[in-house]
Amino acid sequence: MIPGKFRSVSGRATNNVNCGLHLVIQTSPFPEKNKVELRLNKETPSFPGRLLQHDLERNYSSRQGDHINLVSSSVSSFHILQRSSEEKILYSDRLTLERQKLTVCPVIDGEEHLRLLNFQHNFITRIQNISNLRRLIFLDLYDNHIEEISGLSTLRSLRVLLLGKNRIKKISNLENLKSLDVLDLHGNQRDVDNLPCLQRLFLSFNNISNFESICCLADSPSLSDITFDGNPIAQEPWYKHTVLQNMLQLRQLDTRRVTEEERRMASVVAKKEEEKRRESHKQSLLKEKKRLTINNIARQWDLQHRVTNIAANQDRKNSDSPSLDPCQMDGSTTSAFPEETGSLDSVLTNALQALSVTDTHLVDVDGDTLSLYGSGALESLDRNWSIQTAGMVTTVSFTFIEFDEIVQVLPKLKMKFPNSLHLKFKETNLAMLQQFNALAQLHRVDQLTIDPQGNPVVNFTLWKYYVLFRLSHFNMQKINGTEVTQNDMIMAERLFGILAHVASSELPHYRVISILGDARKKQFRYLQETKGKKHGIVNEENNDSKRFVGENTNRAMLNYTTRDFYNEKLEETKEKKKFCKIYIEDLVKEATEISMKKEALQKLWPQMFIELVRDAVLETRNKNSYMKLCLQQIADQK
Amino acid sequence: MMLSPERLALPDYEYLAQRHVLTYMEDAVCQLLENKEDVSQYGIARFFTEYFNSVCQGTHILFREFSFVQATPHNRASFLRAFWRCFRTVGKNGDLLTMKEYHCLLQLLCPDFPLELTQKAARIVLMDDAMDCLMSFSDFLLAFQIQFYYSEFLESVAAIYQDLLSGKNPNTVIVPTSSSGQHRQRPVLGEASMLEGVEASLFYQRLESLCDRHKYSCPPPALVKEVLSNVQRLTFYGFLVALSKHRGISQALGALPDKGDLMHDPAMDEELDRLLAQIPDLVNSVSASPEASCLPSRTPHRAGFSWRPLHHARKVDAESDGSTEETDESEI
Repeated sequence: MIPGKFRSVSGRATNNVNCGLHLVIQTSPFPEKNKVELRLNKETPSFPGRLLQHDLERNYSSRQGDHINLVSSSVSSFHILQRSSEEKILYSDRLTLERQKLTVCPVIDGEEHLRLLNFQHNFITRIQNISNLRRLIFLDLYDNHIEEISGLSTLRSLRVLLLGKNRIKKISNLENLKSLDVLDLHGNQRDVDNLPCLQRLFLSFNNISNFESICCLADSPSLSDITFDGNPIAQEPWYKHTVLQNMLQLRQLDTRRVTEEERRMASVVAKKEEEKRRESHKQSLLKEKKRLTINNIARQWDLQHRVTNIAANQDRKNSDSPSLDPCQMDGSTTSAFPEETGSLDSVLTNALQALSVTDTHLVDVDGDTLSLYGSGALESLDRNWSIQTAGMVTTVSFTFIEFDEIVQVLPKLKMKFPNSLHLKFKETNLAMLQQFNALAQLHRVDQLTIDPQGNPVVNFTLWKYYVLFRLSHFNMQKINGTEVTQNDMIMAERLFGILAHVASSELPHYRVISILGDARKKQFRYLQETKGKKHGIVNEENNDSKRFVGENTNRAMLNYTTRDFYNEKLEETKEKKKFCKIYIEDLVKEATEISMKKEALQKLWPQMFIELVRDAVLETRNKNSYMKLCLQQIADQK
Repeated sequence: MMLSPERLALPDYEYLAQRHVLTYMEDAVCQLLENKEDVSQYGIARFFTEYFNSVCQGTHILFREFSFVQATPHNRASFLRAFWRCFRTVGKNGDLLTMKEYHCLLQLLCPDFPLELTQKAARIVLMDDAMDCLMSFSDFLLAFQIQFYYSEFLESVAAIYQDLLSGKNPNTVIVPTSSSGQHRQRPVLGEASMLEGVEASLFYQRLESLCDRHKYSCPPPALVKEVLSNVQRLTFYGFLVALSKHRGISQALGALPDKGDLMHDPAMDEELDRLLAQIPDLVNSVSASPEASCLPSRTPHRAGFSWRPLHHARKVDAESDGSTEETDESEI
């Protein structure tokens, strides 16, 4: 009558339970203490299940209690159940009390032979008053409000206990049910993890698809045997080692012994995964930080430009109401309408300072690309880069840095990153063609990318040709991603070739030397300023001078001096100019004096000549007296 | 030691100043000081030779600071010429450039060339309108020539124009042509184009008096008269455009060839071909065949001046011929 190994299934959806589980408890053939097997099986939508259920119901015919009288007893406030004797005889071993709206288990009198008890679809909250039914084999409490498994300790013969769709929170008090074959606990709120004795758990075909549903099993110290086959989770690539890693006490997985090797592998893999996850998390954090830094730098760059623009405008306009943009941009400014230019400046510098507290520059090496953001990043070129890292860098990208500042560190760049072949400039304020002259000092540039954003020079029609012309010794391959063709080179030469010719051949010799010398001196000065000056630098300079010869010398005339340096130089020459002026003035004074004197002499000379002649004639009129006079003069001299 | 009477008439300083001798002297000595180490290698005499040769040839202004470039009319003319020679190819190529780009080209030759001058030149070409427009090389060059060479003159002209426009006439001198003595009514701006600009004849009178007393170089008054005689009224920029396009004025300046020949420079074209030939795997495209040179040929008799600006006295008529100048007096 009662099925031995009972595989009952249920296809009902469950809310609180992660998987609709049927626990099937079987006592082991070797009654070791507290060894309990749990088999949770659930076959896919479960017609057979329902069938079985219906079978059950059919077999144990559910009558709506026609023959049952419920008599309430005043003594125990329980209903006392009595059946007519006919019923008793007919169905002596089964009792069906389903859908009786029972809230408590009634006392069942005189039914000690009862083997099947059906309390389905009631509102029973506690299992009570059935301890006397010691012959009970089948107890069905499906669809009630039972919160706790209790009151079953005397039912040693119980083999099927159906507690599905109740409110059971934990599995307990099942120790005495040594004959229990089937325990149905689906549709409850129970936690599997509180089974201290649970050793073997069969969870095949339960539609478990993620690990979170069963991670609670990891806490069960006694669990040594578990099956998951037939679940989606078993198909996952991480299934085996995740399970093994988390359930260290397992000895069998899917009916196969867990070997040490597997365990070790699992832990290794799990560690790797953890590493990877940590790494990618770190990466994304880094990326985010980078992004924020770059935004910060961009804002600072913008702010600086507004300052210079405003300063320039104010120089020209002398207006009292400066642009309001920076004030609005930075919410921290106090007064919105500063009257004086002075206060506006201070407002802006305050804003600038506020920004500089946070990160103001970023240096990023990513394989073959070195990216520099913000002018502070240029200092990083001084760092001790490992030869390997530095050697791998083939692309250097500058963003949010003034080109004039970049020019000053180009010698350093040349030294530290000798393989850099591709230069990228974005938001570097490249505005003039002659700034490209500065790039000539590098070893070699294969590719040049000038981003239109922040580089007005790109708007010129001729900029590419000028680059090709000035840097012709590089044999550049690409500019802004487009290949350089032979025609481009020809056009560049055609446009600017004469400039180079004029620059080199028509300048006086001393100017050629001085311009070349200037360039070399500048480089030497930059090199000297780097820390750790080595003797190698001297060689560097020699190489440079040789290279100058190698480079088209006619182009070498075309140099770029940053505005600051240029003004510096002009300042230096002011002194000299003043001196020269004074010197020449003196010369001129002398010369004019002399010429005046000459002129005067010219005028006076005829008269003077006449007088001379007259004097002489007068003197020598009387030869004798003149001779005497001369002799006397000679005598007097002694 | 033949000193022409005219020279004797001037006091020494003024004479020197007129010829800007001092400027070059000072600059020469300054350059000497700056390049002491390099020059000492081959001697001071050679240095001065080179320096003054380059002044004669007009190459002394290359890559020099702006204050030097604009110091003398000769410098300015040399600069214009250098600019023309170096970038004629850009014009020949037919590219139209913006004002900013022309400015860049100027800065290639003179790193601190001020933007305002270029802007003013562009205004002449574009008639003070749409400053972002593209300009052709010849248009720009001719306008730039006028603007740069006569910049002080033009400023005064602008002031005069403004005066005339607003009806002020501080000059109460009665000029023989009596009609101009009457003051004009204040022209209401925004009326019909009849009242646009100023009256040409009045304008010319003011300019003439300006030329007389101006110590900076001015265009030859006769040519200015020519420009103004064609129209009844004209605006400031109209006047400037007319100046820039007038061939006579350009010739008088002497820095650039005629407009029609602006693209021709056979000597440089040859040089360019040679340079192009050095590029490997080049398919040669032949440049224009050499035509009759329009440049004033260098006369070996002269003391090296290859074109006329240095001899351009203030009055067009009195052109002194300094070919017999002897220099054994000076020991420079």
